Amino acid sequence: MKQPFFIALFFLSFSANAQELFAVTEPASTRPAGSIGFRFDHLVMNEINSSKINYHLIPEIMIGVSKKLTVTGNVFLSNRTDKFSGEGGSVYARYRFLSHDAVQRHFRMAAFGRVSRNNSDIHQEEINMNGHNSGFETGVVATQLLRKVALSSSVSILKAADNGKGNKFIYGSENSKAVNYTFSIGKLMLPKEYTDYRQTNINLMAEFITQVNTGSGKYYMDIAPSVQMIFNSQSRVDIGYRAELSSTLLRTAPTGFFIRLEHTFFNAFK
Amino acid sequence: MKKILLLIAIVFSVATHAQVSKVSLQASGLTCSMCSNSIHKALKTLDFVHEVDADIKTYTFEISFKPNTDIDFDLIRKKVENAGFSVVSFVATIAFNNVQVINNHPVTIAGKSFLFVNMKEPSLDGAKRVKILDKGFVSPKEYKRNAFPISSPHTYYASL
Repeated sequence: MKQPFFIALFFLSFSANAQELFAVTEPASTRPAGSIGFRFDHLVMNEINSSKINYHLIPEIMIGVSKKLTVTGNVFLSNRTDKFSGEGGSVYARYRFLSHDAVQRHFRMAAFGRVSRNNSDIHQEEINMNGHNSGFETGVVATQLLRKVALSSSVSILKAADNGKGNKFIYGSENSKAVNYTFSIGKLMLPKEYTDYRQTNINLMAEFITQVNTGSGKYYMDIAPSVQMIFNSQSRVDIGYRAELSSTLLRTAPTGFFIRLEHTFFNAFK
Repeated sequence: MKKILLLIAIVFSVATHAQVSKVSLQASGLTCSMCSNSIHKALKTLDFVHEVDADIKTYTFEISFKPNTDIDFDLIRKKVENAGFSVVSFVATIAFNNVQVINNHPVTIAGKSFLFVNMKEPSLDGAKRVKILDKGFVSPKEYKRNAFPISSPHTYYASL
């Protein structure tokens, strides 16, 4: 399994790419100080062994608290139970602690953490702080920007707790911890040359997300290709597909489409 | 009466002695237009800034100023940093009127102290492009190479 993965990475690093505003992971760069961004994530996932489509809506507010600190808050809504309803929310923070900037390039590192609360029933061994489990996630991310290409990688630890409304983490406390590894690559495709802020930017991205459960040793590995359009240097639309490459973890709906709509208000506060 | 007029003339001549007409800065750490736009919008919030003309291709921002305002170089730099990026080049166009300059001796221009290094001419006259060499105004590499002792705020190491 490992070999094809690294061959895929090697190949990708020379062909398909994108900038660093990734669709599944976050880069080490933080948001501009004083900015407020709004994001609407739509996930349309196929439930395994059923004809059901799980729709998740995650509205999020993102605040550039300072040049080094971004704080976000989101709520989780889905139709996974009988009717479309709110299931919980999370608070996330990212602190950029290293920056080496040069013209058209940078290397940056950041630490991040997320605390989640979720009331839905626990139905899979995969631990997911963005819409499935209560608990926390913390890690570090490093991002390298080289002209039109961005590479980013993160490592984080996750600890699932019991969900709200009496929904226990049913796989045992020894299996409630996991490590996530991500690798993202992106490339600016258009415009070939910048002349105006109103030019639409098109980025292509490929992301790999891997989780290893520290108790059971079970894992999953996903790939998420996406295309991103940035309008007016202020609004963005990402359209992507997330697919499972390999997994030994029990998962209910690992594959599906996602659409992200986002708008940033610069200098919204001092 | 003549004395008073003379005094006014002297005061006036000192005040208009030299003026910062514009600043051209280059930002680093970015390639996307969204990043450039965040710098552009941040610079425009400064009350002494009249206009910001961005060259997205070279990541260069030409800043012009409102007349009779106090132009703060450090605030300009901080706006770029708060947008999430760094300044690698900061060049102020200053109109001089026969200002005597000695290497490493502070000279006050438009309310700011400048320590000129590598000066070849004894005086400055006319519009000159003055490059600021302090930390945060050049790349960390260039700053390290110059190895200046740390100066006080509003005193800038500069070269032509």
